[in-house]
Amino acid sequence: MAFFEQHIHDAPKTFLSKYVFSFDHKVIGKQFLWYGIAFLGLGGMMALMIRWTLAFPGEPFPIVGQFLFPQTNGVVPPDTYAMLFTLHGTIMIFYAITPILIGAFGNFCIPLLIGARDMVFPTLNMLSFWLAFVSAILLLASLFTPLGGAAGGWVSYPTLSTLIGSPGIGQTLWCLALFVLGVSSTMGAVNYIATIITLRAPGMGYFDMPLTIWGLWLTAILNALFLPVLGAGLLLLTFDRVFGTTFFLAGAAATSGSGDPLLFQHVFWIFGHPEVYILILPAWGVVSDLLSFFARKPAFGAKATALAMTTITILSTVVYGHHMYTTQMSPLLTQSFMMLTMTISIPSAVFFANWLGTLWKGSIRFHSPMLFALGVVFVFGLGGLTGLYLATVTTDLYLHDTYFVVGHFHYTMAASVLLGGFAATYFWFPKMFGRMMNEPLAKIHFWITMLGLNGVFMGMMVVGYAGMHRRIYNPFVYEFLQKLIPINMFITYSALLMGFGQLFFVYNFIYSLVKGPKASANPWEVGTLEWQIPSPAPHYNFDVIPVVKCGPHELGNPNLKNGRDFQYQTEELVEV
Amino acid sequence: MAIVTTKKLMSEKDQGQEIISSVAMIVTLVSFAMLFATLMMGFAMFRITSPVWPPAGMTKPSLILPSLSTLCIFLSSMSFIWFEKNIADKRGLIVTIVLGFGFMLIQSLLWHSLSSQGVFVSSGIFPSIIYTFTWIHAAHIVAAISLLFWLLFSVLKENTPKVRIQASNVGKFWHFLGIVWFIMFVTIFVL
Amino acid sequence: MNLYSLYMKLFVFNAHASEMTLLERIKPPLDISTNGHLIDSLFNLTTMLITGFFILVCIGLFGFSYLYRKSRHPVALYVHGTARKHIAIVAAIAALVFMIIDMQITGISNHDYMQVFAKWPKEDADVVRVEVLGQQWAWNFRYPGKDGIFNTEDDIVTLNDLRLPVGKKIVFQVTAKDVIHSFYLPNTRLKLDAMPGRVSKMWVELTKPGVYDVACAQMCGTFHYRMQGKMTVYSQEDFDKWQNEMQNRTTFAMEKENADLYWGWKWLASK
Repeated sequence: MAFFEQHIHDAPKTFLSKYVFSFDHKVIGKQFLWYGIAFLGLGGMMALMIRWTLAFPGEPFPIVGQFLFPQTNGVVPPDTYAMLFTLHGTIMIFYAITPILIGAFGNFCIPLLIGARDMVFPTLNMLSFWLAFVSAILLLASLFTPLGGAAGGWVSYPTLSTLIGSPGIGQTLWCLALFVLGVSSTMGAVNYIATIITLRAPGMGYFDMPLTIWGLWLTAILNALFLPVLGAGLLLLTFDRVFGTTFFLAGAAATSGSGDPLLFQHVFWIFGHPEVYILILPAWGVVSDLLSFFARKPAFGAKATALAMTTITILSTVVYGHHMYTTQMSPLLTQSFMMLTMTISIPSAVFFANWLGTLWKGSIRFHSPMLFALGVVFVFGLGGLTGLYLATVTTDLYLHDTYFVVGHFHYTMAASVLLGGFAATYFWFPKMFGRMMNEPLAKIHFWITMLGLNGVFMGMMVVGYAGMHRRIYNPFVYEFLQKLIPINMFITYSALLMGFGQLFFVYNFIYSLVKGPKASANPWEVGTLEWQIPSPAPHYNFDVIPVVKCGPHELGNPNLKNGRDFQYQTEELVEV
Repeated sequence: MAIVTTKKLMSEKDQGQEIISSVAMIVTLVSFAMLFATLMMGFAMFRITSPVWPPAGMTKPSLILPSLSTLCIFLSSMSFIWFEKNIADKRGLIVTIVLGFGFMLIQSLLWHSLSSQGVFVSSGIFPSIIYTFTWIHAAHIVAAISLLFWLLFSVLKENTPKVRIQASNVGKFWHFLGIVWFIMFVTIFVL
Repeated sequence: MNLYSLYMKLFVFNAHASEMTLLERIKPPLDISTNGHLIDSLFNLTTMLITGFFILVCIGLFGFSYLYRKSRHPVALYVHGTARKHIAIVAAIAALVFMIIDMQITGISNHDYMQVFAKWPKEDADVVRVEVLGQQWAWNFRYPGKDGIFNTEDDIVTLNDLRLPVGKKIVFQVTAKDVIHSFYLPNTRLKLDAMPGRVSKMWVELTKPGVYDVACAQMCGTFHYRMQGKMTVYSQEDFDKWQNEMQNRTTFAMEKENADLYWGWKWLASK
């Protein structure tokens, strides 16, 4: 299927062309990884400040509080609090998870796993990273504007995000930053889609691709389709702010009073619901592969998993209305969105059945990538199932905009995606950097993270059911929430624990990068294409483009004679 | 013999390039289409929920300038098709570029005439839509004109299959913008 | 519960409310409406169903992890899960989940929504009508007063002070002045977005007198958390008494020139 063989150019010599303005997909992937991890740390710090404020209102934030908020003696002020949760959401979704899973592992894995030498458009790829960099600068610059950064929530609903609610330039910069990032991600998406369609190694059909590639491919398709929708919404919002158009202004505040703030919500969620799947699909793919690799048996129903992913991708485009039940759409629309949303549980159930089917009668090795993959199954189970409360309209009337929602979407978008990202990092680290990560540290990292995140997000669902609504600076001004102080403190302790656990990762990552034991070409003993080349992956990956003869999950075939329990994708399938 | 093999290899590679670039171009155009579709969806929502259209106190702008620009962009698409038939003949491309500038000129005349009638971008939802949509479209036209210039340079330099692929991709984008303008013209100005 | 009291002792310093058990703490606020129990019972049913399903997933996840770990089960079974039997099992699981969990809660929710929450009282029914205007950062309430017409001189207008009777249907029409707010009555399990430029509506019937919280659930700016009102629920007699008292006061307070006081709108008839 490869329509042509990419030429091998000479390896870049200078520092700039090798590490900064590199065309190499592996280097761009690593750049995205650093970028994402840096923002993950920043977003995590913001999360801790938010949690601190909720558990101990009026207490100064320890250690750094005095430097950050000298005018209040270290206490997070309410306007800063609004900025913190806005940017925490924005950063985590667009600047941490997207770069890590889609930017880093998308770039790194796609050519390697499909047997290509590079992306189809290397220049576009580089441009995509540097636009993301520009976008990050815009976003960070917004923090230093006179009225501070955006503070209207990560959804930035008008009219709060128009000049009425946030007059500062920070919100405009936020819009521009996201627009630029959208352009960058769309570039990446076009590149991914074209690469996967045209550069698969000869013999590799769509169902011979690893499920990771399926996940990334579907993600790229959703990105290419729906980021422009967000782009259009952001453009209109920017025009409202800069040129005085009235798309989203209405009521007493609008001079001519004919716009409609609800339009933005429609546009935002037409993009926003697929965005949830944009984030989770790569993690699903990685998990489906890893479960098979470490259970030493073929992925159970791999084709069904791929088709279920595709079904979800399609369904995700028509269910966005469940984010807007409380805006009172027409009852007919409400009912249809509820029904459509519910059908998503069919493909989701197929996933779970297939994942458990993969484990069934396997021979499971609990290496760190596997632990994280199992963790994804657990937390995604919780996250997916709690979505049912929010898809049914009546329970949503009570739970909408409470911490229950926060807990739910953190389970799906943060916990499972984060664990999936860690699984991918531990798994591909040898191929990326040529060294192994430390297993015991990785396992400590896993258990602390699991403990912490379940404490945080379960706790959030509990306080949400007790009625605590979102984005409030001090919940305890309400009488009915005062009894929740101890639980909020518990969530904060769990968050601190989780934050502490990440230190193990950072230490492990940096230590292994420098001093980790050298990795062999195939440390995990799996048969996909990237493990046939040396670690770290050499310049232009494959000297000879491999010819694919079997699927990616051929493990545990009893008739294998070569002393291995797996076969490479380039080997003829051994008949049973 | 050797020459034949190289030639065959070349053409295979070109075929590969052609498929890759047209896949990528189609995906890109779908992305752009989603951008404009979102704008049109917003417009449809305002239009359907509004009791009268155009909103009270507004009149539709005269059709003369928009019709001219539609004609202009239609002719430019035609001339581009003519150019694509034989890219050695560069006249078609030059006509396309000239008509592209003509389109931009007419659009700026349209904005000028609107503001001279006291219709500004901030004077209500209908002017907001007219200005914003034409601005966004015009931004794409500007980008497309620079692509046409890039193509012109390539055409002046060489006449290879690579340039033909380039021409067909730039052409796709140019025709796409023509179609978008036609939809805008019909929905905003005519209906 | 032991862990809980240990946690309370060790980590929670202001032990003033520590007599509460964990279950009391995490209960949703007192339900004071006639229909709130519908939402609570659907919530509990969903919890039961998904807990059941999640336990099954966990049995699979932990059970298989235990049974088929490498040391206990060194050779994996070579199976692709593409046999007809396997496909049938997966399909059956998906279908069962959809029918047992999803269809059931969708059906109940649909019925509750259409027959109760979106079934508006008749136009001529004897209801209490209240107009609600959200603004940064307060709730304005408007009662039609003696004449039963909104935006006239005898309207009763209050700020962050919602007073309602028990035993009568109450219909709110809600909008916002500046940014989007969300009218949130935790004790009735309902919330409704208040959006500039459009009027949305909600109805409740209350059962228990007392004083409760009114909150804004949609981010509306820096002092979103302070956008708090009080809802006082009276018996019918007390409510009439309060209304009469207010009525006497309003006739003095309403100045014709003060445009801010006439923010109300003509009550929108339901379709």
